[in-house]
Amino acid sequence: MMPGTRLVRGVISFVALISALLIGKAPAEPGDPSLPGHHPLTQTQAGSLLISEMRCAACHSGVERGFIPEKTAPDLAGVGARISPEYLRRYLASPSSAHPGTTMPDVLVQQSEAERGRIAEALTHFLIAQSKTVFLVEAPEQIDLQQGKSLYHSVGCVACHGPKEALADAPQKPNRNDEDDDEEDKKLSAKKSVKPVAVSLGHVAAKYSAKSLSEFLFQPLRVRTSGRMPDMKLTPAESLAIAGYLIGEQTLAGNALVPEAPLVAKGKQLFQELNCAACHALPGTAAAPLIGSLRTANTTRGCLSKTSSRSPRFHLEDAQIQAMIASLREEPSADSDKLVAEKTLTVFHCIACHIRDDFGGVHETHNPFFGSSDLKLGDDGRIPPPLTLVGAKLQPAWMKKVLFDGESVRHYMATRMPQYGTTNLQHLPSVFARLDVMEGKEMKIPSPESRFESEREREKLFRAAGRELLGDKGLNCVACHNFNGKAAQGNQGIDLLTSYPRLQPGWFNSYLRNPGAFRPRTVMPTAWPNGVAAHKTILDGNTDSQIEAIWYYLSLGTSAADPSGIHGVSTKLTVDDQAKTYRGRSRVAGFRGIAVGLPEKLSYAFNAETGTLSAIWQGEFIGVNWSGQGSGDFNPASEPITLAQDVSFVTLADTNSPWPLLPVMTKEARTNPNPLYPKNVGYQFRGYYLGESSIPTFMYRSGTIEIEDRSVATGSAEQQQLKRVVQFDSPMQQTVWFRGLTGDISQESDRVFQSGRLRLTIPQTETKLRSLSEEPKRFELLLRLQLPQGKSTLEFLYEPIKK
Amino acid sequence: MNRSRSSHLRLLCLLIPIAMTTLGALRAEEVGERWGTEEREREFYPIVNVPLPKDTVIEAGAFAVLPDRRIAVGTRHGEIYLIDGVDAPKPTPSFHRFATGLDEIFGLVWKDRAFCVTQSCELTRVSDSNGDGVADRFETISDAWGYANYHEYAFGSKLDADGNQFVTLGLSESYYAHALNRGFIMKVAPDGKTTAFASGLRSPGGIGLDEHGTLFYVESQGPWNCSCSLKAVSQNSFHGHPASFEWYKYAPELGPVPELPKSETRIATEKYRVKQLVPYAVIFPYIRMGRSITAFSVNRTQGKFGPFENQIFLGDYTQSILMRATTEQVNGVWQGACYPFREGLSTGILNVEFTPGGKLLCGGTNRGWPVRGIKPFALERVEWSGKTPFEINRVTIEPDGFKVTFTKPVDQAVGSSTDSYVISAFTHPYHAGYGGPEIEQHQPGVKAVSLAEDGLSAKVVLEKLNQGFVYELDLASLRSRDKDELLHRNAFYTVNEIPSR
Repeated sequence: MMPGTRLVRGVISFVALISALLIGKAPAEPGDPSLPGHHPLTQTQAGSLLISEMRCAACHSGVERGFIPEKTAPDLAGVGARISPEYLRRYLASPSSAHPGTTMPDVLVQQSEAERGRIAEALTHFLIAQSKTVFLVEAPEQIDLQQGKSLYHSVGCVACHGPKEALADAPQKPNRNDEDDDEEDKKLSAKKSVKPVAVSLGHVAAKYSAKSLSEFLFQPLRVRTSGRMPDMKLTPAESLAIAGYLIGEQTLAGNALVPEAPLVAKGKQLFQELNCAACHALPGTAAAPLIGSLRTANTTRGCLSKTSSRSPRFHLEDAQIQAMIASLREEPSADSDKLVAEKTLTVFHCIACHIRDDFGGVHETHNPFFGSSDLKLGDDGRIPPPLTLVGAKLQPAWMKKVLFDGESVRHYMATRMPQYGTTNLQHLPSVFARLDVMEGKEMKIPSPESRFESEREREKLFRAAGRELLGDKGLNCVACHNFNGKAAQGNQGIDLLTSYPRLQPGWFNSYLRNPGAFRPRTVMPTAWPNGVAAHKTILDGNTDSQIEAIWYYLSLGTSAADPSGIHGVSTKLTVDDQAKTYRGRSRVAGFRGIAVGLPEKLSYAFNAETGTLSAIWQGEFIGVNWSGQGSGDFNPASEPITLAQDVSFVTLADTNSPWPLLPVMTKEARTNPNPLYPKNVGYQFRGYYLGESSIPTFMYRSGTIEIEDRSVATGSAEQQQLKRVVQFDSPMQQTVWFRGLTGDISQESDRVFQSGRLRLTIPQTETKLRSLSEEPKRFELLLRLQLPQGKSTLEFLYEPIKK
Repeated sequence: MNRSRSSHLRLLCLLIPIAMTTLGALRAEEVGERWGTEEREREFYPIVNVPLPKDTVIEAGAFAVLPDRRIAVGTRHGEIYLIDGVDAPKPTPSFHRFATGLDEIFGLVWKDRAFCVTQSCELTRVSDSNGDGVADRFETISDAWGYANYHEYAFGSKLDADGNQFVTLGLSESYYAHALNRGFIMKVAPDGKTTAFASGLRSPGGIGLDEHGTLFYVESQGPWNCSCSLKAVSQNSFHGHPASFEWYKYAPELGPVPELPKSETRIATEKYRVKQLVPYAVIFPYIRMGRSITAFSVNRTQGKFGPFENQIFLGDYTQSILMRATTEQVNGVWQGACYPFREGLSTGILNVEFTPGGKLLCGGTNRGWPVRGIKPFALERVEWSGKTPFEINRVTIEPDGFKVTFTKPVDQAVGSSTDSYVISAFTHPYHAGYGGPEIEQHQPGVKAVSLAEDGLSAKVVLEKLNQGFVYELDLASLRSRDKDELLHRNAFYTVNEIPSR
């Protein structure tokens, strides 16, 4: 703050104080300067909040305790591992010099410089002895400082601590057409004069190591239970990045302090004598009894005096002292719900991000640091939502999810909604619920199980209308809103399925009618300007019915069919430098199908039920259906060459025996007539293993022959081939038949056959090309394989022929 | 005398608003509305979201706890992830993808340094032979069943004491048995030898060992099943749906084909005619207690999960809720009770597992069928806050009524009054139609109540107790000694048998 401003404020406050003393009442102007931020509190209200923030009641009687949990002092149990001993010494000797702005008072005012040093030394030894582990300076690993800087300036740290540096690459605030709203500009300039919340972090580099700070940032409520520093939902890696960034090039002394027993004992005695236990609970120490009532205290002496040598000294600004005095002069009375809400939003700095009614909101200087992954959503996409009427907006259960469970629906917003701890904000949902009452239109939601047919008809009508309105043939809400996790085509607005469990119907109804009334700059259009439906055909263009239909449809959740414009998407699986093996049913491989994608962009399908290579294709791998009830069935990503899916290896009784075919089920006879096929012709699948480049080798059995079957890509990019190597392990010499091809087969040479778009090269062996039918022309190519006892190998080449 | 009059007055005051809320609740239940207990439940059993890695879809279908305390999750996308750190106070666990490319995992067992994975197509041994942390061997243990329709899901159990694993085979399109052994439970011995074990399944949702080590499977509402239920499985037992009779000819080990059940009968009488028919052990009244219940886990956390040790916990897909169940054997027949536990989960629950830290990990998806939870998939952890809710702990049967135990001592006056125990009963028809009504509803009079001296249990004597009925206990007016209301007022006990003493 500029010294001049301070002086002027001081004078004004002095005048205010005098007049307050004269008339016995504090001025009731909101936005008292004793607290930062655009808050709504008057001087006395701000003063009472300061009294609980400074924890006056830890020592004094006569302080009313309200709903809002007081700020508590940090838990000192692990302080020796958390804080640099050197810093601790300096801080204890003079808290506000080591950490300007700290709320810990200086309790050694009357001591000489040397004595302060001795006391601080003993206390340091005592405190460090409380910890099982010691303070280590070394950073645990390479820290991503750039990520730390970026997180610090995006997740919301800036809202309370201010930007750490003027970022050249600060996110650009979208341009506004300011000429349009003069009125708003006046408010804006009034707001600009308010100082932003800016809790200093200047001391942090000297206080923490990167590791201890990151542990604190990961779970701040473990050390500071009262939630003034909230949990920003950071992961350990994010915490470390921010910690590393805040600490910068640290030059802390690396030597750990070994507590010395005499000093520990003296420190413990001092801890007791100085009544540290009034605020810091430590085992084996107890707070002193409360002293005189604050209500009757002489405020020109004691803690609120800047000159008292006997009292703890809080380095308070004049405005703060005046506010506290003003509050103490007031008759104590219970806070109204409104005041409890306002105090809560002020003390937890909710107002640094959120507007409620006419107070709060992101400070101009912080505004550029509120970013979004979807800038097309405008301010709605980056500035946390207003809290005006939030008690009428959110369902009570959802509000608790947001406040206490970290629930969040605005995935596009860079700033995170912090977690303040359940005990600290427990009072807030019911306070909001009592305060925020909204005259919403009652929605007449139809019942599908009504006794009346007319009502059941209405239900059907509304279900269909709601679906149509949301879809691309209606209002096309799904163009800008995700739907049950499926991304919208345009903006990535809040998932529509969250509406019903999240929002109250009255608020939803009013909001749809006029979103701009709730959010002046929203990008959400209204489909019912001035209450008149833009879409005239659905439900006869009746505004009430249309909104009711949408609400009813959303209430059905996943029970209702998706709106038009939402498509079940097939998930593309791709192959990198490792082969991919994927099981699932497929038209090209049966129910026990397996797709194999090779790094060379050649893929094939294997029917594991019959032990058959059943399709080959080039290019991308597969699309998998995981939408709806889809249980992962796959389809080749390009047009495959398909082969028969009957069993491949069989021992035939004689050369004229028909090949055993897959049983056929029809619509009329759907039960499998040969359910043991092909196990009843000796086939058993045994699995697969992945080898080099994750290429699978299939294992199966045909009679007594153990087979291993592996295919790799060979050939040039222009002339790719699938080289299939089949290894047999037979307990004896025996003959087995292999069916290589079916269909319209032509023989190119001794060992080369062609069928459709496939050329097959077979090993040297006896073949039989059997005719299956004349019209259409169908053959099957059978290979008689004479297997020796033990292991043997045969090789096949499958070559797709370019069209 | 005076005291009694005043307590009656007090009761009356209590009962009027309760009667009104009961009406409200009943009306809401018709469309599957909520229990309305979510906001109170959170104080005792908060739900903690387990953050998933970005762009990773984990539609949990099966869990297994590894010896190193990691948790393996098998997914509908056919992947197995190993999760480390799920028990941390603020969980930010690491996810290691161990295996991919499998087909809808609904069973996961860790055995001999490998997973036994139940996929739709087969039971597979999945292992990492080269020690690089990623599975590279997928060996078929058993594929002794037909698979010809996507709805033919297979659920695998954990191992029994002899190392056997059991696989339930749902019907084709959930109605027919077009493919081999559909509607059977298969027993897979440690050497992979697979035999048919039981028949009569419809659309199972899970299978496992209950708190007594007895095999139970989860059945869904549909033909021959008016509500979802837990069913006790024994060698050759028949579980109500006759479609699987088709396959007895391939399974001589199952013995003769059971008599064809007659539709529009009662299971309590039909079980005498159809000798293999096992009555449903725990019926979950449709909609009030789920619409499609799924795989269960037994709480053996030694108190870490609060007062419900040795009880079955299971979820519901449609309603995104969790329930409890307890079982007991009477005259050689299994039966028991189910209880509401927690609502407000974020997605349809497909499976649950207790973590080494004593928390209940729940997962699933909401796609394809109606689900209340609005997240397409999620992993959530339900944990005990350390505060004990006032709950019905367990209901067991007595020769002339029930014994109800509580988690906290019950107020002497209210707990000793017969008026505080509102008990009603219904049965279901046993029929081929899809689902079915609650019929023969009646309110057996409560003859006497004796509250134990410690207030932790009450014996409720009824005018009459009937076999084949589900008894609903509504204890809304009970108060604990510290004046708590019951967190959940209901329990539902299925009476198959009545003990003689």
